[in-house]
This record gives sequence, structure tokens and C-alpha cells, in this order.
Amino acid sequence: MRTRRVKNLAPMLDPVDPGWASVPVEQVSMMSTPLAMQPTAYIRNSWEGREYGRITALEIASVHDGKQWALRASWRGVSPAGKDFPDSLAIALPVRGKPVLALMGAVDAPIHFLRWQANKAGAVSQIATGIGSSAPGPVLACSAQARAEGDRWQVVISRLLGGGTDVAPLVAGHKTGIGFAVWAGGNDERGGIKAFSIDWAELALDA
Amino acid sequence: MSKRQVAMVMDLNKCIGCQTCTVACKTLWTRREGMEHMLWNTVNTQPGSGTPHGFESMGGGFRDGVAQPGKRPGVEDFGKAWKFNHEEVFFGGKGEISLAADGGKHGKGPNWDEDQGGGEFPNSHYFYLPRICNHCTHPACLEACPRKAISKREDNGIVLIDEDRCKGYRFCQEACPYKKIYYNEVEEVSQKCIFCFPRIDEGVTTACSRQCPGRVRFVGYLDDPEGPIWKLVTKHKVALPLHAEYGTQPNVFYVPPLSPPKIDDEGNPTDEPRIPTEYLVSLFGDGVHDALKTLERERERNKRGEKTELMDLLIARKWLDMFGPFQKHPRDAARNRPIPQNQQKSRAPQQQAAIRFYTKEEFKKGGRE
Repeated sequence: MRTRRVKNLAPMLDPVDPGWASVPVEQVSMMSTPLAMQPTAYIRNSWEGREYGRITALEIASVHDGKQWALRASWRGVSPAGKDFPDSLAIALPVRGKPVLALMGAVDAPIHFLRWQANKAGAVSQIATGIGSSAPGPVLACSAQARAEGDRWQVVISRLLGGGTDVAPLVAGHKTGIGFAVWAGGNDERGGIKAFSIDWAELALDA
Repeated sequence: MSKRQVAMVMDLNKCIGCQTCTVACKTLWTRREGMEHMLWNTVNTQPGSGTPHGFESMGGGFRDGVAQPGKRPGVEDFGKAWKFNHEEVFFGGKGEISLAADGGKHGKGPNWDEDQGGGEFPNSHYFYLPRICNHCTHPACLEACPRKAISKREDNGIVLIDEDRCKGYRFCQEACPYKKIYYNEVEEVSQKCIFCFPRIDEGVTTACSRQCPGRVRFVGYLDDPEGPIWKLVTKHKVALPLHAEYGTQPNVFYVPPLSPPKIDDEGNPTDEPRIPTEYLVSLFGDGVHDALKTLERERERNKRGEKTELMDLLIARKWLDMFGPFQKHPRDAARNRPIPQNQQKSRAPQQQAAIRFYTKEEFKKGGRE
């Protein structure tokens, strides 16, 4: 997944900014998390036979301006209002080591998440070192803006380039891995009940 | 597995449905924002649908050791905290206005079928069923939580939710077959009865038990042969768990209610109790038969002036004996912990009278500014 350098990223924080029209879009395949990997018997039993993680693909576009990185994700599945759980999107970036995305990292190989959810403004930084371990992550400048058009979400999540303790490194001219998770709130999806991108995709930032 | 287990026995023959326990708990623990609808202690009329409405058909718990899917009760199921138009009625200057809840558009309150009960006159009947979290030995909530936010204390078996770990997924609400877990929409965490653990830690019994005017509630360790719980549950076998078939091994037990004789068509008393035993069995299991027989037998012995440990215990002549090792006065326990200087300012009387819900930060300061 190539991240092109643009001159002026600021307007592109809006997901419907015309600047996104010239950025190539890549498809990322998604699948539901395996039921056998759900961490408790209750969740496994209560979701057996229930469909979840139905988002099969995300459309992703990504840019940076040498200081800031912005990623636009788009998918069909806007939940009706008044549900208990919000539609959500999380971007995963490896902090160090070689974490397994499906296991949400390990103690010596954490994963840094930027999470957007439909009932809140902005993005949240989280760190995970295993399934069910996500906790408040490092403080860094990040944001999220979302637009729902019909049944399609368009969400732009952005953060500063660079790295730091527990901040996943994002450096112009370098590559890293990227993963995704999407929750359909209207289907009661939360926690490990979600669609995810199976494994890391390569994220290459133009110099 | 906890080393010891605190437990509670409630004698349903003595509960008068006054809700003092409910208010004691509400006043002490659920005055934060988002807790308006929470009643960690409820008292419902049985037969009835309980709180939340129809909780017995909401699933959860275990069958043959297997976790069962359950429904997640919402605020409407528990019953909203209604808002009344007191200002308008008392000070609005309108002659023709009535007191109304939620502008007259209220749904169900938490105790909507109070005193309705069951049966037909002259055999109509009801009794009160107080409920708290059962602090189960096999807690379905704990096992359901993917965040490991729920723990069972090793020293006394109290089941607690770590609100810093909780992410509000509410699998615990679904899994609990007693539906005694609430969701705080402001703080976005699940919350429930904590068996007054800060009091228990200081040797003070729970607020609901200490405030009970009917001397209904016994508190102590399940394995203490000198305490009331062991005597009622294990020795005399008159205290039974609610819906043991849910498979969570609850640690709140009930002494089933005796009742006057059922009246036949000619108006004569029969040998059957007015509260159908089958109904009590549906709540407390087959042990009801023996428990009622024991209670009747010991009551007759007591009438004859014979010494009966069970009746002495249930009559609770010595109030503090009801609380096993938790007999300390809260005031004396508080003396051992000096109030921080910034919390020593007493509130003005009008503030004390005001009912309002605190933010989490205010609550941590004891509701003091």
C-alpha cells in the first residue's frame, strides 16, 4: 500500500475533500475473526451461528506531507441510530518486533491502534500486547473525521509521522505493516467480534 | 477459588417490602451520573416479573457447565428513574395540574408490579423478594468478560468489576442469569453491587443488612460454624439459593416464606399453604419442602416453649448476631480512618437535602465540593 506525498494535507482530513479523488484506492480484504479465538466460552457460545464481521473489504487511500499521515477508509455498513454499540474502525501499526495481528500483539511486540468510533469525536490511541489487553496508548497528535453517505462510511484517521516509546514508527521513505478492524455496531459487534484484515499489509511511505 | 466466601441469608418471612435496604444502597453507592436507574438492591413482589422486567427469561448462566447465551437488559427493562414535575405542581402557579412522571409519558418503573402478587381472593398472596448481586462461586459475568475486568476476591469471594479495565462491552450483563449488572452510559462501564466491600474490610456489615428494619438479612462467612450463615444454610438447611439451576452457585440464600392456609370454596382452611409450594420450588428448588417442614416444626417447638436454636436465630433477638464477624458500627470503623482535611467541611443543610447525582470525581471526594 503506497502512501503518496502531497503538498497540502490539511484539507484532506475531511473525507470528502476533492484532493482524495486523485489518490489511488486499494482494496483490503477483511474477514470475521475466528470464533474459536474469542477469549471466553460465553462469547463463543453466544455468537455461534450468528453472523458477524460481514465487512468483506475496505477501500483504503493514504497520503502524507512529510509531517503528518492521513488514511481514508471507506466501507458499506452504516448502522441505524440508537444501537448499543457504535460502528468503529481501528488501524493497527506494529510498534516493534513482529507482532501477530490476529493475536493483537505480545508483551515484547506491542501493536499501536488508532481507533475511531461513530459516537465520539476524534481518534483514540491504544496499545495492545495480546487479546483483550488493549489499554490507553501513547499520547500523540491524532484525529479522525467521518462522513456517512447513505450506507457508506468514509473515515479519515491521521497522526504525525515519527515514532517514540510505544508509538508505532511511521517514517517517510520507509515501510511498515498496517492492519485494520471494523465493528458493525448495529450487529452488536464489540471487542473481538469484528471484521479484521487477517495479516499485515505493507505500508510504504514515499520519501 | 476464594479462600473464604462471605454470604447473605434473607428471611422472606420477615421482609415487609419497605425498600429501606434499597434506599440505603442507593444513597451510599449509586449517586454518580449515569447511575440514576441503578438499584443494586431491589425488592420485588412475588409472584411477579421482577427487576429487570422478566429477568428469569433473559438467559445466561450455565447449563451442564456450558455458558448459555443471554439477553442484555437495558434501562427500560430495569425501569427508568422517573423525573417528576414537582416544581410545576408546587410553585408553578397553575391550579389544575397533577403530578406526572416524565411528562406523563413514563414507561415502567423498577417496581411496577409492587403488591400485585398472585392468586384469586380469598387465596390471593404475595411476598417480597429482595435481590442483590449473588457474588457467585461460579460467576458467569466473570467468565464472560474478555477484558478480565471482573474478579472474585480471594479473601472473601466478593465479585468486583474493575472500572478501569471495563470497556463497556456488556457481555457480563448478558451472561449474568440474575441480571444484576447495570450499564453506566455516562462512564461507559458496567457496575453492580459490591457487597459493600469497603465496609466488610473494616468489619462493618453491608448497608442493606444493617439498615433493614425487619431484621431480614444475615451476613457472614459461608464456612463459619459459629456464624448465622452456616447454621441457616448448612446445619438447618432452611436457607436456599434462588434459581440454583442457573449453575452459578449463588451466595445469597433465602428462607422461603410460610403462609396461612389456603381457603376452600366453602371458606374453610385447608392443609395447603396459600403461597403454592410449587411456586416456591420453582424459585428455590426442591429443598423448599424440607425447609418449610423444618420451619413449621421448629415454630411449633418454639410455641411450646422449647429451646430452638433455629427460631432464636431467625427471630434475631440479638440484632448484631445477624452479622457474624461484621458487627462493627460504621462510625467506629470510620474513626480508624481519619477524614482527609479537604473533606472535613460539612455541607450546608440545604445541600444535604438536595438530591443530585455526582460526577465520578465528586463522588470520590464523598460528594463534597
